[in-house]
Amino acid sequence: MAIRIEKTFEVQQPVALVWSFLSDPRKVVTCVPGARITEQVDERNYKGSISVKVGPSVTDYNGEVQIVRSDPQNYEIEMLGKGLDIRGRGSASMKMSGKLKALDEGRTEVTSVSELNVVGILAQMGARVITEVSNIMFGEFTKNLEKRLAAPPDPPDKATEAASKALNAGSLAWEAAKGIFRRES
Amino acid sequence: MIEKTSPEVGGMGHSIKRKEDSRFIQGKGNYVDDVRLPGMVYGHMVRSPYAHARLKSINTEKAKQLPGVLAIITGEDLARAGLAWMPTLFFDKQMVLATGKVLFQSQEVAFVVAEDQYTAADAAELVEVEYEELPVLVDPHKATAPDAPILREDRDQKSNHIFHWEVGDKSATEKAFQSAPVKASVHAVSPRCHPAPLETCGCVADFNKATEKLTVYLTSQAPHAHRTLFALVGGIPEQNIRVVSPDIGGGFGNKVPIYPGYVCAVVASLTLGVPVKWIETRSENLQSTGFARDYHMTAEIAADQSGKVKALRVKTLADHGAFNAAAQPTKFPAGLFSVCTGSYDFPSAFVEVDGVYTNKAPGGIAYRCSFRITEAVYLIERSMDVLASQLKIDPAELRRRNFIQPQQFPYKTPLGWTYDSGQYEGALNKALDMIGYQQLRKEQEERRKKGELMGIGISSFTEAVGAGPAHTFDIAGIKMFDSAEIRIHPTGKAICRMGTKSQGQGHETTYAQIVAQELGIPASDVVVEEGDTDTAPYGLGTYASRSTPTSGAATAVAARKIRDKAKKIAAHLLECSEADLEWQTGKFFVKGSPSKAKTIQEIAFAAYTNIPAGLEAGLEAVDYYDPPNLTFPFGTYICVLDIDKGTGEVKVRRFVAVDDCGNVINPMIVEGQIHGGLTEGFAIAFMQLIDYDESGNVQGGSFMDYLIPTAVETPHWETGSTCTPSPHHPFGAKGVGESPNVGSPAAFVNAVVDALSHLGVEHIDMPITPWKVWNVLKEKGVVN
Amino acid sequence: MAKKQTVRVKVNGVQREMEVEPRLLLVHFIREKLGLTGTHVGCDTSNCGACTVVLDGKNVKSCTMFAVQADGSDLLTVEGLMKDGKLHPLQEGFKQEHGLQCGFCTPGMLMSTYALLQRNAQPTEQDIRWGISGNLCRCTGYQNIVKAVQYAAGKLAQGGPR
Repeated sequence: MAIRIEKTFEVQQPVALVWSFLSDPRKVVTCVPGARITEQVDERNYKGSISVKVGPSVTDYNGEVQIVRSDPQNYEIEMLGKGLDIRGRGSASMKMSGKLKALDEGRTEVTSVSELNVVGILAQMGARVITEVSNIMFGEFTKNLEKRLAAPPDPPDKATEAASKALNAGSLAWEAAKGIFRRES
Repeated sequence: MIEKTSPEVGGMGHSIKRKEDSRFIQGKGNYVDDVRLPGMVYGHMVRSPYAHARLKSINTEKAKQLPGVLAIITGEDLARAGLAWMPTLFFDKQMVLATGKVLFQSQEVAFVVAEDQYTAADAAELVEVEYEELPVLVDPHKATAPDAPILREDRDQKSNHIFHWEVGDKSATEKAFQSAPVKASVHAVSPRCHPAPLETCGCVADFNKATEKLTVYLTSQAPHAHRTLFALVGGIPEQNIRVVSPDIGGGFGNKVPIYPGYVCAVVASLTLGVPVKWIETRSENLQSTGFARDYHMTAEIAADQSGKVKALRVKTLADHGAFNAAAQPTKFPAGLFSVCTGSYDFPSAFVEVDGVYTNKAPGGIAYRCSFRITEAVYLIERSMDVLASQLKIDPAELRRRNFIQPQQFPYKTPLGWTYDSGQYEGALNKALDMIGYQQLRKEQEERRKKGELMGIGISSFTEAVGAGPAHTFDIAGIKMFDSAEIRIHPTGKAICRMGTKSQGQGHETTYAQIVAQELGIPASDVVVEEGDTDTAPYGLGTYASRSTPTSGAATAVAARKIRDKAKKIAAHLLECSEADLEWQTGKFFVKGSPSKAKTIQEIAFAAYTNIPAGLEAGLEAVDYYDPPNLTFPFGTYICVLDIDKGTGEVKVRRFVAVDDCGNVINPMIVEGQIHGGLTEGFAIAFMQLIDYDESGNVQGGSFMDYLIPTAVETPHWETGSTCTPSPHHPFGAKGVGESPNVGSPAAFVNAVVDALSHLGVEHIDMPITPWKVWNVLKEKGVVN
Repeated sequence: MAKKQTVRVKVNGVQREMEVEPRLLLVHFIREKLGLTGTHVGCDTSNCGACTVVLDGKNVKSCTMFAVQADGSDLLTVEGLMKDGKLHPLQEGFKQEHGLQCGFCTPGMLMSTYALLQRNAQPTEQDIRWGISGNLCRCTGYQNIVKAVQYAAGKLAQGGPR
């Protein structure tokens, strides 16, 4: 199931700082709850994992992140993430392209287009749940990004630890459900 | 016409209340999941999340260590016993548990057995399976493309093409098309749907090591056939297998195949020596068991200017999923699809069907129909409407001009079927009358002027049931006769057993009514049993509306054999010759002296106490009935609906169903069947779809997405009937259970298209959701 | 495995007490622990209503509750509808009006319509259809079920047992 997510948001930081953060998977992952980079294979390839808890069941994905294209001049980046459920219950892959634009007064506009493909049990719930969950994860991501960029830099270990608490999609699912009903009422 | 008995006797034509109801209304039904045996343990299936992948490894260590887990069976384990694959009902084989690769999402990969259901489910979560994803094929149109992934590496022929089947006169049909002034065509899809009976499939397999007897409580529509297949495939001596189909919570064809879960439960029980229960969840049911339809059809009609049809040409692509597990007679890879000339007098016709494999659940089964009849009837009824629309002839009138006439019966169709009897215009006229057709067309004209969308759709179907004669029909080699055994007790009560198996059709009542009609024994004195292969005579089961045409006939014939013997006993008791005797429901009397009579009860008593010389004691008979032909019920359905221009929602305003199934046993039960079948047809037309995305993920794998109509949206059904008996059936009956599911989808779709035809709409495929309609309205610029 | 909890429920008028896992669903408690198999399981997403029982006067889907949530409650299942060997008018109605075919949805239907008639003794056809909108049936098309409920409402109005 292929889901396309387009997001544009503003960060209250200068574009160079935002670029240095978003072009480094090890830094990006600190903003994604439940995710960690476990190994850097080479300049462009990393190994990692993400743990997603939906209600009482946990899905752990092990996989790779690859920087497909990086253009610091134009502040454009393309990343590809692929993961397999460690218990063999499915897989997911995401292609993300991001573009930064400097706005005035030290503000940056971030535009990202992601294509998410899910195979397995999670995909059976249909696009409606996955889209909502993705939206909420994105919201968490941008909040964490602002915090990280504003705060003094943490030592690397502490940074990865802080974000690696499994994403609790029990509450995510509830938020997603509420989101659906709010729109439909 | 059948001469009715008194209501107390309750023979044919009486709407007596159902005998089986007592236990159901008290919650005392005995369904497979209600079976509890000492020492019983539970099975749970581990299933593939991928539609197409190599199976690299299965690690059961963690799962085995969970307290309460007794065994975990994998494909490798089964392969050692030669059971990893099993034959399907149609010349193919199917994996019981995956070895090497998986071919559809939710395919069975491992079977966990534990002391209770929760532990079994916990353990299934702990089984670790490693897969390597392979490219997925979900579009049947791409199955034979040169770059299509080959799914079935086990077959000699490395191709996704399963079969090509042709019937009819190709050259005569071509000629007709070349010279015809009018040609109409439609591409119509019968989408993949699922019977979804409210009770899912399951079994309790109980192997007794001491007696070496295997008893399987099974959700089975055909217990004897299943027993024989278990014997042949499992190598267990058939006399040591007993299959019991207790109460079944709906079948609709879903409970005809043998599923991997059954085989695994049997293997587990043989290994562990204790009863093993396996009941699938609803999601498993929707995602892995017998689906229905998935026919992609193109029909062309050649006609003259007055709409008289000359030829029919059909090309169909059939999606069978990963294994061809179609449940249909062996000579018919596309089932009875060739009845697609319908109620109309086509001089020539030619049909081609190609079956292909895809990464979807295997099948298909005949969902409340004789094999592929729904697809055939839908196609011809849609096509006739397309022709009518093209020629601007009223659809009722076009049908009238083309109906096979009563004097043409028995009628041989250009595709090889011999229809037994029919009076199509009678049913059409009755339906038109009941709905007030002329008035409705006037109303439609008025509403159209105001921009309102109102549609009227007609379906005048003929279909074929009662499979079937031994010369043409067999399933896995077993001929499709059916049976009835009747035994009368000394006190004149009776017990009967049949080879069919009710899943809600009311056989405990209707078969008793046949006996009541033939012998005059009150239906309330007749016990009917089905489903226990140790006691019931061999039969092919209940599906495709075959019970009344086959076992019903057998019941009548067996009863008449009993009557013949009863006559001898009566002659002995009345001290006269048989030639002097006359029969009147329930008694023999001496011609001219009606007071000199013996009731069937008195005769029964005598059969045990005062037996004539030369005769055996007892009063019983068994009959295995080989029907000389199928029977061909028919009818006309008319649907009136209105479409909301703002939402695309379709509201069925009225639906009239006139059915002709010949002589009726219990009108109340027939009416109930019609209500139920129409509701299923309604669901298929408007809201049901088992779909797959490009990765092979099932969309429609639970009741959240696979919609079953509730009482709120289900329309009110108006029923009527005509009666054209079958000339070859012992009491002129035809079978009717499936007719509403067969005939109604076309009525609904024809009505929607009719509502939009003035906007240039020629066809819309099912399911006709509000979203689909709204998009059409938007395209035509008429959204509110 | 979580520690077992005690559940005390009055079932069809009889006080029952049992130790159960907290995650045990009420429908499994009824079917497996109490041995009352009239209540059925028809789906796994709370859609079908075959598991409907009446808990403290309300019809609930017992597959969507834990047994421990029913602690201290009054539970009525289909087995408790008959009084002194006499069928409840609803049960009579289902038989008289041919409101069942395979019987699998019937217990759930009976319990939902029992609760409906408690709330609304004179329901219209629409009231009835909405009242059973949480109960799926594949066999009857609902039309005769509506008639069965109307039959029962009529009988109760004449003073039948409630």
